[in-house]
Amino acid sequence: MENSAEDYRIQSFDLDTQRLLKTALKDPSLVNLEKVSNIIVDQSLKDTVFSKEAGRICYTIVQAEAKQNNGNVFRRHLLNRLQQEFKEREEMRARSLQEWMCYVTFICNIFDYLKVNNMPMVALVHPVYDCLMRLAKPDALMNEDEVDCLVVQLHRIGEQLEKADSQRMNDLFFLLRDGFLLQESLTSMARLLLLEILEFRAGGWMLSSTAHKYYYSEIAD
Amino acid sequence: MSDWTKERRREDHSIEHEKSFGPSRWSHCRKRGVNGSLRSNSEADDIDKRRNGHADSSYKHPDRRHASFTTPESTGPVSRCGQQADWGSQVEDDEMRRDVHRDMQRYRRRILGAEFTQRERRASSGSSGSCDSREGDNLETDEAVLLRRQKQINYGKNTLAYDRYIKEVPKHMRQPGVHPKTPNKFRKYSRRSWDQQIKLWKVKLHAWDPPAEEGQDKTLDVVEELNLDDVMDIELDFPTITDSQNSQTSLPIHSLSVEGKQPGCPMGRNTG
Repeated sequence: MENSAEDYRIQSFDLDTQRLLKTALKDPSLVNLEKVSNIIVDQSLKDTVFSKEAGRICYTIVQAEAKQNNGNVFRRHLLNRLQQEFKEREEMRARSLQEWMCYVTFICNIFDYLKVNNMPMVALVHPVYDCLMRLAKPDALMNEDEVDCLVVQLHRIGEQLEKADSQRMNDLFFLLRDGFLLQESLTSMARLLLLEILEFRAGGWMLSSTAHKYYYSEIAD
Repeated sequence: MSDWTKERRREDHSIEHEKSFGPSRWSHCRKRGVNGSLRSNSEADDIDKRRNGHADSSYKHPDRRHASFTTPESTGPVSRCGQQADWGSQVEDDEMRRDVHRDMQRYRRRILGAEFTQRERRASSGSSGSCDSREGDNLETDEAVLLRRQKQINYGKNTLAYDRYIKEVPKHMRQPGVHPKTPNKFRKYSRRSWDQQIKLWKVKLHAWDPPAEEGQDKTLDVVEELNLDDVMDIELDFPTITDSQNSQTSLPIHSLSVEGKQPGCPMGRNTG
């Protein structure tokens, strides 16, 4: 089955780059994988839509390379680039909240998609937690966008993260409870998001149908 | 994955996370800790204390691990000491660790199966078993050793020669002694014995090198790799083929243009 460009959301790239990515997906040995990994990371940091979905294209390239020649050049470059950005995340956040949130979205997406023997990559567990903890800090909770970013990630990978390290999840939720209860500067939307994620986790990473109705159904005005 | 490895890895991470020094035996050589920050002298002292005190079973590493944790057999000096800090390597190591564990499960199952049938056969025919039935006693389980061996095997398999070899000679066509066979990482061997097996295995694989430069260069490489002195010291349990087939291992013809010594022969004669 041919995956069209839309499946990987690569329409935002120029045509040459699209061609490069398509080749990487089919025949990784023909392309410079370091370059490809940089292209993908760079775009993920700029494009919110792409950062949510880039995990899939990365996964496919990793698989293709492994199958073709047992290599993991692409994965290695991707991870090390992610690590580089991670080391400077505080500066990134200071420079551009947008880029920071794209980074968090992207790394969580990678965590979700790039598994090793069907298990999440252990090397990413702590960095992901570090990012989420940063989002749970008072200055970040003040931004609705960052709160939204935080809860979206927890919806997607919270359960897996907790399985990988439950203690840190407990620590994270301590911060979230505190923020919800004590932080006065929170908008009501932010509080709503936090309350929902608290219930979501308490319910075993799913909402009861009544809770779902409360948070998600349209209220006829 | 067993609980203790998960636990250990979490502690490894908490070390990085808490900016404390790395746990490897080579840490004392390092000016910087795992996260790149310069280490103070007191950290170096702690490491020394730990290294010197590893014989003392009551000494515990600051983060609650037993001191002997830091002294598993290592691969020797590495360019980046101890734990690799970059995510790419961490994930690769993690992957290798899982693969090794999975291989071990499969191997164990295979052994148990063989032992069972051997016992049945022995019971009915009165003969004594060989090969796999005794593998259970001979099982290497030390993770550090298995990982190191797996790395060495990977280096050998990650070659054009190996690719060409497996394409050319399917498993059922392989003749013991003639065709290279990957050393069995689950068997107990001494370090030297194992390293020698790997060396000889890789030398044999050279026969399938893509036809680039022929002649003298290749020959010299082969001879150097062999380090013939060591060959004479090989312990008798070395051959991976069954004992009854310890015939001389033949080496690729084109690399035997060295006068006199046939590198494969001494071993064949010794064990013949």
